[in-house]
Amino acid sequence: MDMLLELDHISKIYGDLHAVDDLSLTVPQGEWLAIVGSSGSGKTTLMNMIGCMDTPSKGSVKLEGRKLEDLNAGQLADVRKNLIGLVFQKFYLVPHLTAVENVMVAQYYHSVVDEKQALEALEKVGLKDRAHHLPGQLSGGEQQRVCVARALINEPKLILADEPTGNLDEKNEKIVLDLFRQLHEQGTTIIVVTHDALVASCAEREIMLNHGVLVGEKWNDEKAREAYEAAGGKPASTGAKVEGAQTGETAIGFADPTKAAKTGGEE
Amino acid sequence: MTNTGMFFRMLFSAVFRRRSRAVMAVVASLVGAATLFCLAMICIAVPQQMNEEMRAYGANLIVTPTESGADGKVGIDSAMVQHTTEMVAAKGSEKHATYRYENVRVNAAPYVMAGIDTAEVRNLNHHWVVDGKWPSAGKVMIGRDVADAMGLEVGGRITIGYRASDNTSTSAPSANTDANNTGSQQSANSSTTGETSGQQTQDGRVSSDIMDTSGTEFRVSGIVDTGGSEDSIIYAANDDVAKLTGTTRGVDVIEYSAGTEDLNALVKSINSMTSMHVKAQPVTKITSSDTRIITMLQTLFWIVSLVVLVLTLVGVGTTISSIVSQRRNEIGLRKALGASSAAIGIEFYVESAMYGFIGGLLGTAIGYGLAQWLCVAVFSRSISFNWWLAAGSVILAALVAVIASIPPVHRATRIDPAVVLREE
Repeated sequence: MDMLLELDHISKIYGDLHAVDDLSLTVPQGEWLAIVGSSGSGKTTLMNMIGCMDTPSKGSVKLEGRKLEDLNAGQLADVRKNLIGLVFQKFYLVPHLTAVENVMVAQYYHSVVDEKQALEALEKVGLKDRAHHLPGQLSGGEQQRVCVARALINEPKLILADEPTGNLDEKNEKIVLDLFRQLHEQGTTIIVVTHDALVASCAEREIMLNHGVLVGEKWNDEKAREAYEAAGGKPASTGAKVEGAQTGETAIGFADPTKAAKTGGEE
Repeated sequence: MTNTGMFFRMLFSAVFRRRSRAVMAVVASLVGAATLFCLAMICIAVPQQMNEEMRAYGANLIVTPTESGADGKVGIDSAMVQHTTEMVAAKGSEKHATYRYENVRVNAAPYVMAGIDTAEVRNLNHHWVVDGKWPSAGKVMIGRDVADAMGLEVGGRITIGYRASDNTSTSAPSANTDANNTGSQQSANSSTTGETSGQQTQDGRVSSDIMDTSGTEFRVSGIVDTGGSEDSIIYAANDDVAKLTGTTRGVDVIEYSAGTEDLNALVKSINSMTSMHVKAQPVTKITSSDTRIITMLQTLFWIVSLVVLVLTLVGVGTTISSIVSQRRNEIGLRKALGASSAAIGIEFYVESAMYGFIGGLLGTAIGYGLAQWLCVAVFSRSISFNWWLAAGSVILAALVAVIASIPPVHRATRIDPAVVLREE
């Protein structure tokens, strides 16, 4: 099994604050990983570093075998547009472009614009009939689906989603998760940052951060874990000398306290 | 759809689907373009207008004969007047008037009388203040000084005597012509300072009798007051002067108000034609003050234009800076999607150029309307549309918008794309 992503003792330090503290993690091609933790735990900082939008203060990020710290801004932009699809909590659609144009923007920066393909991507997320509406004319769920269509239009190897269902109701949350499930079945690697237990539980594997420190890891799919370990994959770990940190080669399970974050504990 | 098509689709969407913000940028460019174009049009129109206005203050070129006949003044004959006028007209618009100067006596006192074509002189000298009427057959117009000296009023009578001996001069009238004045008085004086008693008899009459007050009676039709040498001259119609002197001859001075841009070149070309036996001189007083005032006005307008240009730059810059800062998230998103800083920069510069172009087009049209209105209100004349200036105005507006957008766009393209993801 090839490792798509390898984090080697990465830290992000702002002054005295360790937003991410000495984390090592490997993610194989095709895995669905959820990064969970409460607000301020360093999830988004970690995601930014994986997504080539931030650089670690220490350690190394390797994506598809390439060390990101060796790349300049232009090369990082190339990695972003060629390998990564981004889904945001707040959608971030261009407000003066229609749904299909927002999808085509990703094509524009990637390679060649193809409106037919963009419409097909919207059809995949159930929005073909809303293709020529401006974001302001779409509901939150529809906007997020446009965002997913934009993320998958260039067929990226890795989809990074930051709280993709954070602003959605349950119905739209289900639609988006179903889309992720389909992408995962097609072999796309998905890393989702969330503090929604339901979203996290859809992933094969979850890691938990607390104040930037890895404090737990669990597998929701035993077959995936076995395949991972068989391929030489090791549990995530941290070098941080903090109580409760997952420092060794043994995963520390956790009881998904994040379920309370969205549902208010009514899971 | 090609990528170029997508580029323009994004561009037009940004302009036309974000109308309120686009309008702000267009209005900023519009105001600048309108003011600049209006000022530039006036900068061009004012010298033309000033030139015409200054020409209303008399001639800027005088032509005098270079030699006189053996038996006295010959002047410039009508054929040569016509030929000289054709040369002047070939270089631009022209107005002219001819003067025949004679020394006459009024109550035995010597005066200068000018034979004129009333319509020509009147057309050339709009600034002359005439109390009463211009001269006509049997009626003369006298200068203010003459009227005061003799206690004459409009409607009064004046007896003018002519002595041929007073007018036999060996020196050409133009010899002493001072180019710093219109030449009228100087030409006349050169004749006056000639021999007044050298010839004892002429036409059988004795001219040495200074107490002889006989002559032809004329009615005073008007009194001219210019504050200059004209105030000491008596003006009469050419026919009356011919009748009084009993001779018909050429004129002593042709005054031109020439519309040529290069007066000195015209003077040179006339003077180079020695066979014409005339001498041309620019009237320095008029031409230099004309040039000075126009230069001052143009300098003033260009300074104001420069200030407006700087203010426009600041205004457009502030507006575009505000628009760009409102789109920081969008820029961050585009970078997150893999856009390079250069690609984003080009998109924003072209968008700014478009705002400048639209604002420039509208502003130029409004600026022309303003300039037209101003010229009609102030100068009572319309101005024609200058297409080159208009094209320059539109291009400048677009350029200013692009230049003004460089700092904010440069700042925006350095946005860390992580900012759009930094909300946990």
